[in-house]
Amino acid sequence: MKIRTKYSLATLMTLTAFSAAAALAADPATPDVEAREQQLERHVEELAKELQAVQAELQSLKAQGQAATAERQAPRAAEPVQSAAVAAPAPAPATSPFENLSLWGYGEVYYTHPTADSKLAEFDLARAVFGIGYRFDDRTLYNSEYEVEHAVTSASDVGEFEVEQFYVDRQLNDKVAVRAGLFLMPFGLLNEYHEPTNFYGVQRNFVETLIIPSTWREGGLGFHGETDFGLAWNAGVTSDQDLSKWNFAPEFPQYVTALDLEDNDVAPLQATHQELALAKGQHIAQYIALNYNGVPGLKVGASVFEGKLATVPAPPNAPVPDDQHLTLWEAHARWMPGNFDISALYAHGAISNLAAINASNPGSPNPIPSSFLGYYGQVAYTAFNRGGYRFAPFVRWEHYDMGASYEGVPGPVVPTGLVPISAAPGDYGYWPLGYDRVWTFGANYYLGPHVVLKADYQSFHVNSDFSRYDLGLGLNF
Amino acid sequence: MKARLLLIPLAPLAVCAPAYAVTYLTVEQAQSLMFDGSVLTRDVRTLSAAQVQAIESDSGVKVMNPELNAWRDAAGGWFILDQVIGKHELINYAVALDAKGTVRQLEVLDYHESYGGEVHLPAWRRQFVGKQHGSTLQLNADIKNISGATLSCGHITDGVRRLLATYALVLAPAEH
Repeated sequence: MKIRTKYSLATLMTLTAFSAAAALAADPATPDVEAREQQLERHVEELAKELQAVQAELQSLKAQGQAATAERQAPRAAEPVQSAAVAAPAPAPATSPFENLSLWGYGEVYYTHPTADSKLAEFDLARAVFGIGYRFDDRTLYNSEYEVEHAVTSASDVGEFEVEQFYVDRQLNDKVAVRAGLFLMPFGLLNEYHEPTNFYGVQRNFVETLIIPSTWREGGLGFHGETDFGLAWNAGVTSDQDLSKWNFAPEFPQYVTALDLEDNDVAPLQATHQELALAKGQHIAQYIALNYNGVPGLKVGASVFEGKLATVPAPPNAPVPDDQHLTLWEAHARWMPGNFDISALYAHGAISNLAAINASNPGSPNPIPSSFLGYYGQVAYTAFNRGGYRFAPFVRWEHYDMGASYEGVPGPVVPTGLVPISAAPGDYGYWPLGYDRVWTFGANYYLGPHVVLKADYQSFHVNSDFSRYDLGLGLNF
Repeated sequence: MKARLLLIPLAPLAVCAPAYAVTYLTVEQAQSLMFDGSVLTRDVRTLSAAQVQAIESDSGVKVMNPELNAWRDAAGGWFILDQVIGKHELINYAVALDAKGTVRQLEVLDYHESYGGEVHLPAWRRQFVGKQHGSTLQLNADIKNISGATLSCGHITDGVRRLLATYALVLAPAEH
């Protein structure tokens, strides 16, 4: 606009000068110089008036332009209001059903390389998960997550397709919300927050995989809320485990690498989970979880789950007396002072009245444990945090024991020495033990909050052949 | 019997627990809380492209909405209403600045997701008090994270850094 105005003025002045000269030259009949000067003055005066008129018009146009700009950039409204009484702008009503729809996802890719046998190295698209949520109204929310494990799912492939979450959250009042459906159990530091950007290491720690069976979900009904001083509570009733799924007589080891150990559902609560797939429902379990978040950077919590289990079918001549109860409890803490991120967790599970069941399966390499436990400590340090990039090396020590005690039998009867570990001819190895102590050294490198590159080395003390290098890529949005 | 015993502690929690709610404060409640009933003048602006670019360059945070919802009090303080994404839903929050552009208070007006609502806890929000344009304002640095609410914590932290840049580059210069 300014440029156009300048050009217009210059053009007008030039035209004015030419007009004056032309007027003078166009009147050859003027008798004398004085008369010609007077005529010239009149022309100049007329042109000056025209020029002023044009300038005024231009100024008017310019002012209109400035006003339009000001309307866009300066305050559109200057409404003095009393802060206690100002009318709040109401949220715009949804004009499309898609405005209430939420989509999200996460996933992770691994490369794992056992140091003892490079032939067992594997690549894996461990999981690709997509989530769909819908807000029905201000108080009612639906969330669901669907997971593809190991890239391909078919009858001849190792992958699985699972519904990981499927629940409705309903705010009952200002104090309590209720959740119903298939939901994640509020246990430990990882189960509800299992996306790869939320934990250190290429894969989840063993304690929160084998003892707390992340990603652990049950079908049921739960209530939850949080106080102003930061105490979050969660309690409810759910489905539980099914001991009849237990495999007492595996022909071969159920896992021969650390990756198998995490993937093959061998731990007590992994092997008996039902995941709401035609789940046996004659018994109802219950849980309570408390977490304190009232101090920034600190989280302290504990939870307990208790339920009567669907039991192992017993022959008529060997009835199983009493019921089997599962009790799982855990306590955890996470503290993030400065650049440090320190966490620790202890988890313990117990199943009662197993003596008769285990005694009816003598010599089993895999009896049902009466107790199982694990604990870990982890320290991470943010060494670099700039421009959205964050680099955090970490170290973790953990102990897991999937069979800390047994009833009815002294323990697993495990073949010693080299034994066939699969049906493939010549495939020999050692039968692994169900407990270990593991050091993990590694680092997470975040490319913003949604993408992380990971690397680690894990050293196993008992099953030393499980030691490995891992690389990983994780994302979450 | 065991089931009943385990659930007994739920009862007092359900009775005593205040304010787990989708909406914690309306805009007028937040203004009253943060400016104690003083007169506020609404000052809604649309940021120009140049201003958006300057704010993004200064704060390192993308400006998703050029509409700036601000109110000003007689003492020169500002009430700014803003939105950020938590994990996948919007969080409405408000920041009160004093006449020098220092954060006096931050309030989360609502939270709509099943996880991460801990950002409304007073102790976490108090970390922003005293922050100015130029403060680090980085999660896991001068703003501590909440385990399980990382994305919401990070996005609100980024949002406040963006608002302080907006104050410094747009609101403060207009006063002089």
